[in-house]
Amino acid sequence: MIRTLNVILFFTSVLALAGVYVLKYQTETIADEKVAIQRDIAQQNTNLSVLRADWAYLSQPSHIEPIVIRHEDSLELKVISAKQYGSITDIPMRPQQVNDEALTRLLEALDAGVDPIGDKLNELIVQ
Amino acid sequence: MSVADPTMTDLSGAHPEIALEGGRKARKNLTRSRIWFSVGVLVLVFAVICGRLIQLGIERPADPEYLRANSELTLARPALVDRNGEPLALDIEAPSLYAEPKNIIDIDEAVEKLHSVLPQLSTDFLRQRLDGDEGFVWLERELSPAMQEKVLQLGLPGVDFVNETKRYYPGGSDASHLLGTVNIDNQGISGIERYLDRKVLNTDAERPDQVQLSIDLRVQHALHAELEDSMTRYQAIAAAGVLINVKTGEVMGLVSLPDFDPNEPATALEEGRINRITAGTFELGSTFKTVTFAGALDSGAVHITDRFDATHGVRFGRFVIDDFHGQHRVLSVPEIFKYSSNVGTIHLMQAWGKDNYRAFLHRMGFDEPLPIELPETKRSTIPSDFSEIVAATASFGHGISVTPLHMASAIAAFVNDGVYLPATLFPRSTEEAAEIGRHVISPEASALVRYLLRLNAMEGTATHMNRIADGYLPGGKTGTAEKVENGRYVSNKNFNAFAAAFPLDNPQYALVVVIDEPKRENPQSGDTAGWNAGEVAGRIIKRVAPMLGIAPEFDESVDQSLVPAVLR
Repeated sequence: MIRTLNVILFFTSVLALAGVYVLKYQTETIADEKVAIQRDIAQQNTNLSVLRADWAYLSQPSHIEPIVIRHEDSLELKVISAKQYGSITDIPMRPQQVNDEALTRLLEALDAGVDPIGDKLNELIVQ
Repeated sequence: MSVADPTMTDLSGAHPEIALEGGRKARKNLTRSRIWFSVGVLVLVFAVICGRLIQLGIERPADPEYLRANSELTLARPALVDRNGEPLALDIEAPSLYAEPKNIIDIDEAVEKLHSVLPQLSTDFLRQRLDGDEGFVWLERELSPAMQEKVLQLGLPGVDFVNETKRYYPGGSDASHLLGTVNIDNQGISGIERYLDRKVLNTDAERPDQVQLSIDLRVQHALHAELEDSMTRYQAIAAAGVLINVKTGEVMGLVSLPDFDPNEPATALEEGRINRITAGTFELGSTFKTVTFAGALDSGAVHITDRFDATHGVRFGRFVIDDFHGQHRVLSVPEIFKYSSNVGTIHLMQAWGKDNYRAFLHRMGFDEPLPIELPETKRSTIPSDFSEIVAATASFGHGISVTPLHMASAIAAFVNDGVYLPATLFPRSTEEAAEIGRHVISPEASALVRYLLRLNAMEGTATHMNRIADGYLPGGKTGTAEKVENGRYVSNKNFNAFAAAFPLDNPQYALVVVIDEPKRENPQSGDTAGWNAGEVAGRIIKRVAPMLGIAPEFDESVDQSLVPAVLR
């Protein structure tokens, strides 16, 4: 009875020992990975902050203005004057000019079973 | 211990009925107690081990030295963005080199190798730094990533990098006075940066990721570019301008030249680089007449239809004050404004009363500290009681010094139906503005001021400005003040100011421009404010109005509608 218990305990201890050993090394590996990932994140954040700063610099009006001035002539750029602004209501509507005669002829042709537009399209497709 | 206890034998003699314990039984008892003792010791040992395990489980290990340094140094500042979310100031992470002298094996080798890569660090300096038992010493702050790579290639033990944040201002000097600067430890030392440290960062509140300001980067840049242009155009020694939203009090742009690059904080300390908008008080000359007119018309003591005699100068003892643009006749109130008559303005102020005038200056906050969030401010010094002559000169802006921002806030209130709003550098909605707005003049008086400003732009001293900014219905008042040197006014050195508002059919923005010692642009031009400060204001309005969504209006009936009914 005692002997079997001892044997069981002995093997349990050996197993536990092996388990703890494996666990320890696993933990160390994971910790290393974690540090590596953290370094990577830090590096990426650094890169990101530099890229953000780059973008902010490149999109600043104080950076763009000299470029615009340099290419003013070749691109024919001009500052818009106050007189050139208008509102959408200033644009007149398209004049109502319907070619009544042609429309009537088309509708009559359709009624008679002839489709001049369809025929034209078919001709194009055949070609 | 096989022999029985002698005392036991004694007792057994006295009491024969007590049974004697046999030797085997005694041994058995002894063994049992030994077993229990061992068990006890083992339990104790295991308890200690368990306790320690629990303790280790609960306790967080202290950060290694380099990590502690890291967490203190990389304390990020919130990014500053403009009202449209465009970045004005942001953090860049830069590697800083440090050493742990106690971990350095060969000091000579380390010194030699580091010196070969970083020649700016002398060998003496390096030896002194690396020699010792310290856990942490700085070698060089904020290196470039390329430098970091070179040092890492050396493969020196006990030398490593930590990322530090460095403040970066992508716009350079565009918004320098406004944003301010930070020191090497990323603490704000001037401008909004300093304000942030005091009001936001050094409190228990959570640190925000970004802080939005009221300024518009495009407007700020336009203001900066136009003022810079004016510095060369008029060979001025200084120029400054501020644009505020009259409906909310938000500052849309603030520039003071000469300025500095906040990326190099040391340049801010050079002579003459103060923020002239908030930290400089000036005699703003005739622009101050707007204040006098607004107050007098609001009081009811003076009506827009009144006329004042400006035939002769006004005498105070041995002084005679006369007009620059002298008409020498009886002038109506709009004419006094349009011709910028000092004599007429004095009569108008006297009709109102000098004490009322002084009280009105207080109501407009001219003698109060600026309510702006910048640490660099200056109080105006206005005597608490006006004598006749002080009141007279003050009525046309002489002998009274205020900051240009005070003036801009006043103009904003005058055109905004008389609602005064303290200027702010942070976004403010019209609802919030309605809560804190203070009525300083009546809406009727405000309409009269709008008329006067527009009239002056069309017929008076501000026509240069109006010609340039045609279509945006601007109005304004010029101010030419002779500079004081050694206690007396010098006639060939001017300090010119221009106060404007636009568009006057529905006022949205107020602008104040000042130019210090402008020269004539060409022999045909003049050197009074209309020629320089006025023209700069015109160019600024023309440039920023489309950005601010103001549609040009060329319909003359709009100008007619500004004329008060009694004058039509």
